[in-house]
Amino acid sequence: MRIFRNLRQALRGLGQSKGNTFLMTLGILIGIGSLTVIVAIGEGTKAKVLERIANMGFGPESFSVIAGSGRLFFARTENPTSMTLQDADDIRAMPTVRIVVPRQRVSIKAVYRANFTETRVYGATPDWEEARGWVLSDGEFFGDEDMERKRRVIVLGATPAKKLFEGEDPIGKKIRLGQVSFEVIGLLEEKGLTESGYDPDDRALIPLTTSMSRLLHQTHLDSIKVVAVSPEKVGEVMEAVRQLLRRNHNLSPLAEDDFRFITPEGIMQWVTQSEQALNRMLILVSTVSLLVGGIVIMNILLVSIRERVREIGIRRCFGARRSDITQQFLFESVFVSLLGGVFGVVFGLGVCFLLERFDLLPTRVTWEPFALAFAFSSVIGLVFGIQPARQAARLSPEETLR
Amino acid sequence: MSLIEMRSITKVYRNSGFETEVLKGISLDIEEGEYVSIIGPSGAGKSTLMAIMGCLSLPTAGTYTLDGEEVEQMSDRRLSRVRNEKIGFVFQAFHLLKGVSAIDNVMMPLMYSENVPKDAAGRARAALTRVGLGHRIQHTPGQLSGGEQQRVTIARALITQPRIILADEPTGNLDSKNGAEIMAAFDLLNAEGATIILITHEQEVAMHARRIITLKDGQIETDRRYENLPQSEAGPAGAGAK
Ligand SMILES: Nc1ncnc2c1ncn2[C@@H]1O[C@H](COP(=O)(O)OP(=O)(O)O)[C@@H](O)[C@H]1O
Ligand SMILES: [Mg+2]
Repeated sequence: MRIFRNLRQALRGLGQSKGNTFLMTLGILIGIGSLTVIVAIGEGTKAKVLERIANMGFGPESFSVIAGSGRLFFARTENPTSMTLQDADDIRAMPTVRIVVPRQRVSIKAVYRANFTETRVYGATPDWEEARGWVLSDGEFFGDEDMERKRRVIVLGATPAKKLFEGEDPIGKKIRLGQVSFEVIGLLEEKGLTESGYDPDDRALIPLTTSMSRLLHQTHLDSIKVVAVSPEKVGEVMEAVRQLLRRNHNLSPLAEDDFRFITPEGIMQWVTQSEQALNRMLILVSTVSLLVGGIVIMNILLVSIRERVREIGIRRCFGARRSDITQQFLFESVFVSLLGGVFGVVFGLGVCFLLERFDLLPTRVTWEPFALAFAFSSVIGLVFGIQPARQAARLSPEETLR
Repeated sequence: MSLIEMRSITKVYRNSGFETEVLKGISLDIEEGEYVSIIGPSGAGKSTLMAIMGCLSLPTAGTYTLDGEEVEQMSDRRLSRVRNEKIGFVFQAFHLLKGVSAIDNVMMPLMYSENVPKDAAGRARAALTRVGLGHRIQHTPGQLSGGEQQRVTIARALITQPRIILADEPTGNLDSKNGAEIMAAFDLLNAEGATIILITHEQEVAMHARRIITLKDGQIETDRRYENLPQSEAGPAGAGAK
């Protein structure tokens, strides 16, 4: 078969110009290698993000209502005062709602003797413990009586407990938040830092009534955590809550919500979106690197064709058709691309291994980069091989030999 | 019908607006088995004429019929096949593939044949042996002398058993001893029946042929046949010109 003969001529040609072959292979190697690494990093990061959401404490049947318009964690209006205990009570009255935890939140300096630390203090109801599903490592959570009497009791997260007490047993000790002194009655079990560096243990909880009348001296809420009776009801409950709050807050039909929701689904969407943005960026980066590889191949082929015009002319004199020359050059570039693809994948896997080994970036190796590398490098070989090949074949034998 | 029939062939090169008429109406016939020299000063258009004869380029006007087939009507495929099967080229600058062994160079035309003979390598080896290079088949052009390289190109020109051998100044890059060896090879080939068209600007080389065509300024000046004379003694003045 003529085509196999041309393939053989191509392989011979590559063997005879080892320098060019090496450079072209290197160009593709770099493109495919970075593609492999980038895909692996993308996959690794995605896995870590999903893990983090699971750690955020959102069960599938719960969501939070946050005061102020905006989206998820991002507020558009500052310090709104419209959300009240009345809202929380009205939500609690809904039949599809199981638990409602109204909350206030403040960042404040906590002091124990000479030690101090700034931490997030939440005023909440005793239901918080069940709604959040967070176990205590010592002592107990505050109860209804603490709420009624507005007692100055506090449950500490692991981070302020360590910073203030440095190994001393905090239970029964008094600490100060601003000028107000609190007795430590419980300790939250430690969760540990998340991937992004967020510290869920850097918090403390006090009864909402205490927070309202003794610490913050304000009655509006910062957020309400809602647990529906089942995950399927969440959407329905959210819509009911929206209507209720708009009514309670006397919003005109045209006004936007002065509150926003954080739901596991919303976070997922948000993560998915940022993931898509990330993926798009990664695809862009790897496409660029592949293009660079392709252009390297094309340029080297073009240059080598200029060097090899004589060879083309000689072959044409002795019976090579235009298509024979085209095929020979196509085979050369496809072969080089595939070779570069294989080495590129190996190189990429090596880099991934090192990234994991030295804990630099999360990576996860999947089969996609292999398929992509194979497809991309063949396409590059074809696309970038065609132009020089056709150019080579178009020359008339007489001209090429002058 | 002659093997080669040219009628009023002209060739015009157009380069950035200006035209050069290199061939100005060439008409000639060459029969099967002839031994023809084309002679003339540098720039006369000899190589241009050979390129047209060898189907390496097409004439601007006129008709060229090769072995009964009009060349202007041929597709690239057909032209390639004709070059492969009917013509063998020998060039002044050898034009061997660099870095490729002698045997692979000689085999190259067979790679573009309609049917590759089973024993392509054996044929290439035999062709090299015939030109006295049986012991050098794995040498690359860089490892061979000029005379040896030209003998490789002769083996390459013969490998497809073409009807016509076209040689453009085959001795131009060789010393006289190597030149004489190459010319002896052509003489032998012609004696065996091959049609040989030899381009040269050296009288002495031209005298190996039985017919000498003088080209000047793109036109045929003289066209003489010298029959039945021992070539080494022949001279254009003393020979029985027709
Ligand atoms: N592609 C071209 N463009 C313009 N002029 C050319 C081209 N090829 C050849 N010529 C001119 O045609 C003339 C004949 O060239 P050539 O056939 O090589 O002569 P010869 O082989 O007899 O020395 C020369 O003057 C040369 O400069
Ligand atoms: Mg010339």
